[in-house]
Amino acid sequence: MRRRFTLPALTVAAVGGSLLVAASPASAHGYISSPPSRQANCASGAVAGCGDIVYEPQSVETPKGSTQCNGGGSRFTVLNDNSKNWPAANVGSSVTFNWVITARHRTATWEYFIGNRLVASFNDNGAQPGATKQHTVNFAGYTGRQTVLARWNITDTVNAFYSCVDLNFGGATNPTPTPTTPSPTPTTPAPTTPTPTPTTPAPTNPGSTTWAAGKAYKAGDRVTYNGASYQCRQAHTALAGWEPPYTAALWAAV
Amino acid sequence: MGRRLAGSGGPAFRAALSLLLLCVLTACGGSPEPASRAAAFNDTDVMFLQMGLAQIIEGDRVAEMAESRASNPEIKAVATELRGQWRTERDSMRGWLEQWKRPLEADPSAGLHAGHGDLHSLREEDFTGLSAFRGAEFDRAAVALLLGNLHNAMETIRMETAGGSYPQAVDLAERMTEARQSQIQRLLALAAG
Repeated sequence: MRRRFTLPALTVAAVGGSLLVAASPASAHGYISSPPSRQANCASGAVAGCGDIVYEPQSVETPKGSTQCNGGGSRFTVLNDNSKNWPAANVGSSVTFNWVITARHRTATWEYFIGNRLVASFNDNGAQPGATKQHTVNFAGYTGRQTVLARWNITDTVNAFYSCVDLNFGGATNPTPTPTTPSPTPTTPAPTTPTPTPTTPAPTNPGSTTWAAGKAYKAGDRVTYNGASYQCRQAHTALAGWEPPYTAALWAAV
Repeated sequence: MGRRLAGSGGPAFRAALSLLLLCVLTACGGSPEPASRAAAFNDTDVMFLQMGLAQIIEGDRVAEMAESRASNPEIKAVATELRGQWRTERDSMRGWLEQWKRPLEADPSAGLHAGHGDLHSLREEDFTGLSAFRGAEFDRAAVALLLGNLHNAMETIRMETAGGSYPQAVDLAERMTEARQSQIQRLLALAAG
């Protein structure tokens, strides 16, 4: 009985230590998802060749005060590369930025720069942000392509989180008074082919059948997969990627 | 069963033990079972499973709301896909923890969650806040919450692929990496809308 209680505690302590080691260089927190920041464009696949940032767009964390898109650190330098073909979102002069937040650190300010000029600052006075965050910034006077640097300054650490957002002021979808030239957007009436949902109802042959994604299995069912036979251990609906050899909790080789 | 035998410590126990040892040493029976039981797991595996389960439970609450309430069918589709995959992943993850006789949750009194972990978790007010949104606002918030959950999950998953030792758990983490990254891509495309 004693074993039962001490083991979890030990596990948690040991594991807590290893998490700190594993995660401290990149304890992630947040980035701008729309209009898409550079790291969002990397993570969404819109821009290729970005490296590890695709796994953690929220991790651009370095000491406060940098004016670089990667915050001046040694990681994620690809974000500073202006020769990369970063898409610029077409916007009007008023832009609403949406943040994705993975850890709500107490916040000093949220700052938005173009060049070295501070365009807007929002003071949270040390409050914790909510699970989502949104700011609307007025960029009156700016035209054409610009890179906005956003800095999320944390109260209780020396660090900030950086996001660069490429914008095209006065681009296609904006209040430029050109009388809606591009004709009433050809709303191609989406060919209503109802995408034949690939539920291919796997020939339900009682006895041993070939394993198929999308099929519901109950305990005791037998299937074959790649020439091997398996027996279902617990009821579930099979999914692509969870073939019997990889899901020992679901399938026992027989 | 192991506990009962261990408790008695009698001849039955010794017989079972030697049979088990023999099986381990000779990989008897042709079934992969003895081999996979013998495969070593480490603290990273346990933490991956415990944290991963907590993240799945949280994510599933958001996805459940998104599945039923989102206006954009693509959000519903991602939510449905996530929920289906999570069900299967959860079963495997629970199964290993039970097999290893480890708790399904990290001990909250250890301070891990009370400290930094709490910052990474959603709160009741986030769910009530989300449910108060309507239409495009709901869609925007649901996508943001799902992305936050998936990014946190990716950190746990990558911790496992880097430091886990139980082959099937590492394998699961690799598959989860692929699935989650593609879902993140779809959600980011929706956010950029």
